Amino acid sequence: MIVAKRKPFNEIKDLVSGSKKILILGCGTCVAVCLAGGEKEVAVLASQLKMALALENRDVEIDKLTIERQCDREFIEEINSKVAVDDYDLILSTACGAGVQLSSDVFDHKVVVPALNTTFIGVAEGPGIWSERCRSCSDCVLAETGGICPVTICAKGLVNGPCGGTRKGKCEVDPEKECAWTLIYNRLEKLGRVDKMEQTLPPKRWNVQQHPAIIIHEAYRRRYE
Amino acid sequence: MGDCHFLEGNLRAKERVEYTKSLLDEIGLGGDRLEMFHIGASDAPFFAKAVETMTNRAKELGPNPLRCETPVAEAA
Repeated sequence: MIVAKRKPFNEIKDLVSGSKKILILGCGTCVAVCLAGGEKEVAVLASQLKMALALENRDVEIDKLTIERQCDREFIEEINSKVAVDDYDLILSTACGAGVQLSSDVFDHKVVVPALNTTFIGVAEGPGIWSERCRSCSDCVLAETGGICPVTICAKGLVNGPCGGTRKGKCEVDPEKECAWTLIYNRLEKLGRVDKMEQTLPPKRWNVQQHPAIIIHEAYRRRYE
Repeated sequence: MGDCHFLEGNLRAKERVEYTKSLLDEIGLGGDRLEMFHIGASDAPFFAKAVETMTNRAKELGPNPLRCETPVAEAA
């Protein structure tokens, strides 16, 4: 999932300054799971903003609404049946960067600002802790590396490792961090596939990565081309 | 600490109270207005001390500015 973190409160307060009526728009998918922008976080942020602005004697009306996904047009368009979007001066979105942009596209006559900093694609390691696992490089090598991504985990992103900087399972770049290639070796050994360490992977095909990338599913190709 | 009927419930509560205090600090209301005390069911003296601590603190901090009838900026 996409993992995000709320911006510092004062930054958010500055982003909404000058607005008299604000809609805080939450997203019920990834950012809800990582406790950054779901319904509960929207409620906390709304309370904080109301109190902080009241302390400054600023009369601001703040409403809140959380939809299923802000990265899907049909869910954003539903908002019109729930609130009068035109009444708001500003939409404060607690979605990831993708959700903020799509909300901004759909309501292109409204100022839409982000309340979060989108950080990475990752997994939940436990309650309240997430780690990055994927750089979305468009050229996955996990089949060769025991399901551990060297592009993400290795500080140097090496697809053939380890480098000379591995130190007792730790990385020379940051001794606190695990050496990705030690993790890969241990996993391959456990899988009985340690022979894969002897193969040399071809240079990473960075050219397959487009920016901004667009994917059209085969079944829908005719519709868009 | 941690010796809770709900296993680790009081430790979780402690973390959440700390987080809530930080939210109050962020908005300028002050996290000192909120505190959590771990008090054993039979520890009346400590309960009384906790009440005294919070009473003194409330007096020191003054009324919640958001509940004052005078506008906050004027009161300041």
